[in-house]
Amino acid sequence: MTYRDFSKQAMAYAASIGCSACELYFASGESFEVNANGGEIDRYSVSRDAGVSVRVSIDGHEGYAYTERIDEPEKLVDHAADNARCIESEDEHPMQTRQSYRSVTHVDSALKGLSETERIALAKRMEEVCLAADPRVRRVVYCAAEYGAGSVIMENSLGLLAERSSDTSAIYVMPSVQEGDEVQTGFAFRMGKEAADADGCAKESVAEALGKLGAKPVASGCYRVLLRPFAVCDLLAAFASMFSADEAQKGCSLLAGKEGRQIASELVTLWDDPFDEVAPRAFDGEGTPCVKKAVIDRGELKTLLHNLKTAKKAGAQTTGNASRRSAAATVGVAPTVFRIQPGEKAYETLLCELGDGLVITDLEGLHAGVDAVSGDFSLKAAGFLVQGGEIVRPVSNITVAGNFVTMMKDVTAVGNDFRFGLPQGGFFGSPSMLVSGLTVAGN
Amino acid sequence: MIREETARAVLAEAQKSGADYAELFLEDNESTRIEMIDGKVESANYARICGAGVRVLLGTKSAYAYGADTSERALLEIARAAAAALGEAKAAPGGEVSLPLTRFTTPVRRPFDTIGNAERVEVMRTGARVMKQTSGEVTQALVRYLDQVQRVTIVSTDGVFVTDERPRTRIFLQAVAMNGSEAQTGYSGPGCCRGFEAYEDVIDVEQHAKIAADMAVTMLHAPECPAGNLPVVIDGGFGGVIFHEACGHSLEATAVGRNNSVFCGKLNTKIAADCVTAVDDGTLPGEWGSINVDDEGGTPQRNVLIENGILKGYLIDKLGSRRMNLPSTGSSRRQGYLFAPTSRMTNTFISPGSDDDEEMISGMAEGLYAKKMGGGSVNPPTGEFNFSVAEGYWVKNGKIVSPVRGATLIGKGSEILLKIDRVGKNMWMAPGMCGSLSGSVPTNVGQPRIRVSGMTIGGKGGAIE
Repeated sequence: MTYRDFSKQAMAYAASIGCSACELYFASGESFEVNANGGEIDRYSVSRDAGVSVRVSIDGHEGYAYTERIDEPEKLVDHAADNARCIESEDEHPMQTRQSYRSVTHVDSALKGLSETERIALAKRMEEVCLAADPRVRRVVYCAAEYGAGSVIMENSLGLLAERSSDTSAIYVMPSVQEGDEVQTGFAFRMGKEAADADGCAKESVAEALGKLGAKPVASGCYRVLLRPFAVCDLLAAFASMFSADEAQKGCSLLAGKEGRQIASELVTLWDDPFDEVAPRAFDGEGTPCVKKAVIDRGELKTLLHNLKTAKKAGAQTTGNASRRSAAATVGVAPTVFRIQPGEKAYETLLCELGDGLVITDLEGLHAGVDAVSGDFSLKAAGFLVQGGEIVRPVSNITVAGNFVTMMKDVTAVGNDFRFGLPQGGFFGSPSMLVSGLTVAGN
Repeated sequence: MIREETARAVLAEAQKSGADYAELFLEDNESTRIEMIDGKVESANYARICGAGVRVLLGTKSAYAYGADTSERALLEIARAAAAALGEAKAAPGGEVSLPLTRFTTPVRRPFDTIGNAERVEVMRTGARVMKQTSGEVTQALVRYLDQVQRVTIVSTDGVFVTDERPRTRIFLQAVAMNGSEAQTGYSGPGCCRGFEAYEDVIDVEQHAKIAADMAVTMLHAPECPAGNLPVVIDGGFGGVIFHEACGHSLEATAVGRNNSVFCGKLNTKIAADCVTAVDDGTLPGEWGSINVDDEGGTPQRNVLIENGILKGYLIDKLGSRRMNLPSTGSSRRQGYLFAPTSRMTNTFISPGSDDDEEMISGMAEGLYAKKMGGGSVNPPTGEFNFSVAEGYWVKNGKIVSPVRGATLIGKGSEILLKIDRVGKNMWMAPGMCGSLSGSVPTNVGQPRIRVSGMTIGGKGGAIE
């Protein structure tokens, strides 16, 4: 059965069993992934897939069902209707109507025009460059190239019709280096239009690994900390749900009701920018036209992120932040491209301002060591010890602990060294940030 | 169910570029998820994930292709894509294999497709009610319910032709306790590999709801955990995540077979304290991490990993077996058809020892009692791990003096295993989802109460008097 036929029959059937509205979300795509090891293809995977989710509304309640078998639309609608009938929450979740969208230019990612052989060559090249970069490089743990392309069609019985397609490219590598008995690993990645930069990526990863040799803990205590861009990106991703109106309405965000209040240092401006060239999109997960907005403007919380449901409940406008983690997932709330505005200061200047303290480059354990409800985090970390504005030695096997909300207030300088982190369910970008005090556990 | 003839044709197509092994994996996975907030159903979702993947091996080279379309034409196309990755077409290796079909099922009294949403919601409502009733400080009760049946068919040129049905259900109970501007959460998430009868037979929702609520309230009144390097007592059940992270991942062929593990070449040598015996056992009936057949069609088994401190075995899949020159251990798993399988854990635990639970705390001058662990992660090449403590207590002069929040434990697997100085008598397990190369798979972690003589404890609190 074609998707066209499936969608027509699903819509007609939904109306016939008393659904007041019916929406279909059809996603299809292809993917490519290769990992090289010892000059050979070690892991290789290609795919082509498609799935459709149906959402129906009955008596103001909505139910979902998803399938990857594009047949029997009636059965799928029945599942969704059953699910709608068990909903007890009184919160209405309206569907979007027909909209017009601004046109968005999507720059092709680097691997799009490459043949399969060329993509494989990129992975192999990273391994070669790593191994040749320094005699202390012992092996490459992984070095992978990935490409994905996908398209989405959304349509509903209220007239909505929205379509988009996009593609993504990424390469990433982790070498391990050894000196005596000590083993350290490094990591680097490139994405989007930079994803063909195998040499740069490999060299960066080796430099990172070598920089960690000789790392040891520091004494436990309270330190001034310079967080490098990737560390801030990780924290931003981990605490992004604080900015969700959905979490706020469920009583799970400390930012609930704080709109218009100063929640961060005046140095902090946070953008939700759906048009950023890293991943531009015209509409959100329920077909609402996207808008760029400052979420924090010079420290002041301007808005939480809304979809149609949370906006209706709050008596506000949707901010175009409806999300679907996958076609199979229900509609939620999430940032589009979340990025902290860079400042003027170079990294070296920030080191001088830090004086005595720690540079934190890596945070680990983010799926466990953060509490998005309380804002608390306690994470394994690595970086450098800084004395008198100079890097003294690498640091590892420490934890840093703090509170995200408190930390945003304690920002004393923002760098000009903006980077996007590896995408994690969304895009998060930041420059380095100097914060006044985090608690460190070491020895 | 795929016909044998079609399966043969797909495998033959997959071997056309010279693969010495080909395998077809078909999946049809139906699940229902319901979310309830403060006793009201907030969302309900049904999902049916169907597709197929073909994997080919040539020596230690591997390629995997997959797609959602499982028509014969599409399967042949997937097979061709996998074959193409290995090189040009050449003569296929000779010899027809015979494919006798074996069907596995998990005994189920109440299959999920006979259960209506009303009954699911009733179970959830009990959880929500008990969390709210436990304390007035519980301001929000969240309940997530999942049931799922994964039906798989695996056919390979090793003569494997099996089907398996894997029913699983889990209920996740989360309580949020709040006073003024502070909020803390508590949770419990029991799950098993059974039908809906689990909620009558093995999962006591009221008890788990109470655990979640008590934890949130206790943590609300807990000061921040102090930082330092001190002894740590880790309770049984989910405490086993320490072994899972600190050691388990580094014993998987994924790491060992590529020489990316600190435990490479350490078979039959001492890697842990004498009191440590650890096992991975996928055969335990009805357990969350159990499997009837692994995702290459292999037989799961009880794998002794460490015996009295001596490393006895690794967790090995087919590809790992080729790299390591050791037999597979029935440990090949994957989330579904989106992933090629690899070596993974099932139900992994430290076996019961002979130490007294009370003495572990009463014999400690100062340290942390980690009653409930959160999640964690590890970097296998270095063995450095981290995990969070969801419910902790500070111990001084052999007595618990205060609950503490926000603690993290870090260390190196190879060091921590040698520092275990107590292993208790009662072992129990708890479910989790484990993420790695082949996706997210259900695994149990477990152990009796244990003590580690020293670990780095992260936290932002001052000294506790």
